[in-house]
Amino acid sequence: MELVFALGLIAFKVALLIAILLLLPLPLTWLERKIAGHMQQRMGPMRVGWHGLLQPVADGIKLLTKEDHIPAEADRFLFKLAPILALAPPFVVFVAIPFGESVSVLGAEITLHVSNMNVALLFVFAVIGIEVYGVIFGGWAANSKYAVLGSLRTCAQMISYEIPMGFAVIGVVMLAQSMSLLEIVRAQADVWNIVYQPVGFFVFFVAGLAEAQRIPFDLAEAEGDLGAGFHTEYSGIRFAFFMVSEYAVMLLVSVLSVILFFGGWNGVLIPLPPLLWFVLKVAFFLYVFMWFRFTFPRYRYDQLMAIGWKVLLPLSLANIIITGVAFL
Amino acid sequence: MSRAVDRSGTWIGWAFFADLGDALALTFGYMFSRSVTMQYPDKEKWLPYSRYRGHHFLTRDEEGEIKCVACELCARICPCDCIEVIPYEDEKGNRHPAKFEIDMARCLFCGLCEDACPADAIALGQQYEFSSFSSHDLVVGRDDLLGKPGKATTGGGVVAARLNTEQDVLVETSEPQGYNWWRNIRRT
Ligand code: SF4
Ligand code: SF4
Repeated sequence: MELVFALGLIAFKVALLIAILLLLPLPLTWLERKIAGHMQQRMGPMRVGWHGLLQPVADGIKLLTKEDHIPAEADRFLFKLAPILALAPPFVVFVAIPFGESVSVLGAEITLHVSNMNVALLFVFAVIGIEVYGVIFGGWAANSKYAVLGSLRTCAQMISYEIPMGFAVIGVVMLAQSMSLLEIVRAQADVWNIVYQPVGFFVFFVAGLAEAQRIPFDLAEAEGDLGAGFHTEYSGIRFAFFMVSEYAVMLLVSVLSVILFFGGWNGVLIPLPPLLWFVLKVAFFLYVFMWFRFTFPRYRYDQLMAIGWKVLLPLSLANIIITGVAFL
Repeated sequence: MSRAVDRSGTWIGWAFFADLGDALALTFGYMFSRSVTMQYPDKEKWLPYSRYRGHHFLTRDEEGEIKCVACELCARICPCDCIEVIPYEDEKGNRHPAKFEIDMARCLFCGLCEDACPADAIALGQQYEFSSFSSHDLVVGRDDLLGKPGKATTGGGVVAARLNTEQDVLVETSEPQGYNWWRNIRRT
C-alpha cells in the first residue's frame, strides 16, 4: 500500500511536471512576442483573443496541422530522432530540480521535487549535455548546408561554454558543501550566493545564455545568416519539439540561476509563500532572457570562441581559486 | 550613444559593460513608451490629407451634368494607359463620355490625369480601401466614378474605427478629425 501510494505520487508529480513544461511555452511565446513588440514600440499580437492571448494556441494548431516535411536527401532515422533527443533531456533534468521545501497536504508530507539526488547538480549538467546531440543530429541529418553549419557552430559553442558553466558552479558547491540542490538552497537561507559569488553568477549566466542558444549567442540558428540554423529543414510537429526544447532549456537556466545564486525559494523582506518567491524570481530571469534578446546583436563566431575560452574560462578558474583561498 | 562611448572609454566602464548597460536601459525605457502601432482595421483608421491621391472620382456641374467633355486628354497622358474614354454627343451638341473606364489594377496614382483635365472633371479622391479578389472588379466605370467620394477635408488624423465584414470589408468611422499619429513617435 505504501509503495503504491509512493509510486502514484511520483507518477502524479512527473505528469504534472511534463504538463507544465509542455504548456509553458504557450504563455512564454506570447510574452516574448509582446515584450519584443513593446521594446520596438509595437504592440505584438493583438487579434486572437484578448491582447493576442490565444495567439500561441492558434500557432500551435497551425504547427500541428502543417505538413511534416522530410527532405529527400535526409537521413530519415536521425532526422526523426533528433527532435526527440533535443526535447527529452531538458524534461529529464527537471526531475532533479526542487521547487520548495516539503509541504503537508492532508497530513501527508509531500516533497516538491521528484527526486532529491545528492549529486543533483552533476546530474543536471550530465543530462543537459545530451541535448547537444539533438541539435547536431538535426543539423547533420537534414543534409542541408545551413543546417550543418548551424549544428557545427552549436557543437563548438556548447562544448566551449559547458566548461566555464561547470566551473562557475563549483564555487556554489564549495559554499554549500553539497551537490544536492536542496542543500544548496538551504545554505542560502540567510545570505544568497550572489553576494559571495558575483563572478560565478556572471560566468554562469553568460554561459547559460549560450547553452540556451539565446541572443547574443544564438549562432546555432542565426536567422540572418543561416535561415534557421539546425532546424532549417524542420516543419510541423518536429519543429514544435525544437521550440519547446528551447523554451525548456531557457526555463532550466533561469531555474538554476535562481536555485544556485538567488536563494531559491528563500524570500527577502516581503513575506510571501516560498513557491511564489521562487516563481517570481524565475519569471524575472525569463524576462531578462527576453530583454537581452531584443537589446543585443549577435556575437560573431570568433568573438564567441574568444569570450568562452579567453574570458569566461579564466574568470571561472580564478573564481574557484579565490573561493578556495577565502575558505581557508 | 555618446554616454556609452564616454564611459566605456575608461577601463572601468569597459570592465562593467557600461555600453551593454546603456543598451538595456534604453530598451527598457522603450518598453514603457507609447506604441506607435496604428490598429487598423480593428480599432483605428487613418484619414487622408486633402492632397492625398486615392480612388478617382468624376464630378458634375451645377446642372448635374457630368463635367467631362470626353477630350481624352487624361487617357493620352496616363503613363499606364489605363483610362478608356468613348465619347458621344448629346442633343445639345455637347460631348460627354459614353464609356469612361479606369483600370485601377494598373493605375499608379500619379495624378497626371487630374492635372491634364481641362474641365476639372476628374480628380483623385480620398478613398483608399478598394482591394478586391479579382482584378476584373478593379475596372471602374463611369457611373461608379461619379459616386466616389471626393477630396478629403481631413488632415491625416487617426480616428477610432470598426471593421465591418458583413457585406464587404469596410472600416467604418464616424469621427471627423482624430489625433495626430506623429505625437506617438518617441524622439530621444
Ligand atoms: S492617376 Fe496616373 S496612372 Fe492613374 S489613371 Fe490617372 S494618369 Fe493614369
Ligand atoms: S476627364 Fe477630363 S481629361 Fe479626361 S476625357 Fe474627361 S474632360 Fe477630358
